[in-house]
Amino acid sequence: MARQFAPKGINFVFLYTREAHPGENYPAHRSFEQKLEHARAFKAEFNVERPILVDDLTGTAHKLYGSLPNMTYLIGRGGRVLFRADWTDPRTIEYAINYVLNSRARRREGLRLAPFYAEFVGYRWNDPGKFQEGLVRAGQQAVDDFDRAMKQRLKQGPRPGRIELPE
Amino acid sequence: MTHRTQIEDYNYSVFVGSEEFMAFRTLLPVGSSAADFEAKLLETGQRVQFSDYWKKGDVLIEFGSLT
Repeated sequence: MARQFAPKGINFVFLYTREAHPGENYPAHRSFEQKLEHARAFKAEFNVERPILVDDLTGTAHKLYGSLPNMTYLIGRGGRVLFRADWTDPRTIEYAINYVLNSRARRREGLRLAPFYAEFVGYRWNDPGKFQEGLVRAGQQAVDDFDRAMKQRLKQGPRPGRIELPE
Repeated sequence: MTHRTQIEDYNYSVFVGSEEFMAFRTLLPVGSSAADFEAKLLETGQRVQFSDYWKKGDVLIEFGSLT
C-alpha cells in the first residue's frame, strides 16, 4: 500500500512501541538497545519496507497518540489529523486515503467542498489464528497472559470502548 | 517517579488488557494539530522529528510492535 500511494504524496512510517504481549522470546524492554533489536526482528519477520521510527523507552510518542497497541493516524501535509483509528486495518486505511485524495481532486476541479468533522465505525478482519501465531512467537508467557486476561475480561464484561453491533 | 520506574510502568511485563480505548477517543481528534516527537530511525540510527514527514506531504503512521 505504501508503494501504491507514494506517487500520490503519502508517506508511510511505522512507530515501534512497547511490546504489547511480552513473552520469553520478546520480553518487555529494559534498554533501548533491546528495543532496537526487537524492531530489527520485526522488520525482518514482516519484511517491512516503510521507515521504522523507534520511540524512546518511556513511550513518549506512543503516549501522545493514545498508547494503544496498533492504532493508525493519517496526518495531512502541515500537521492536521485527517483520519485515525484505534485498530490498524488496511482496507479502512485505503478507504480513508482515497477519500482524502478524491476530495482534494474534486476541490481542485472547482467543486465547492467544505471540510467537516466525521466519525464512523470501522470493521476489520479478525484472524484469531494469525493472532495466536503472534503470541506463540513472543513465547508461552504471552499465550498464558492473554488467555488469563481474556478469562478475566469474560468475568468483567466487554472492555470499555468495545463496539458491539448486531449483524 | 524515577526514570527506571517510568520504563517499567510503560513496558509492562505481563499483559492484562488494554484500558486506553476510551481515552483514545478524546485525544488528538480529527482536525486537531498532530503532536510532534523525536524518534530514532531504525535504518540509519539518526534522530528524526515526526514533523519532518508531514512537512513533505501527508503521512500515514502505524503504531505497533513485534508482539
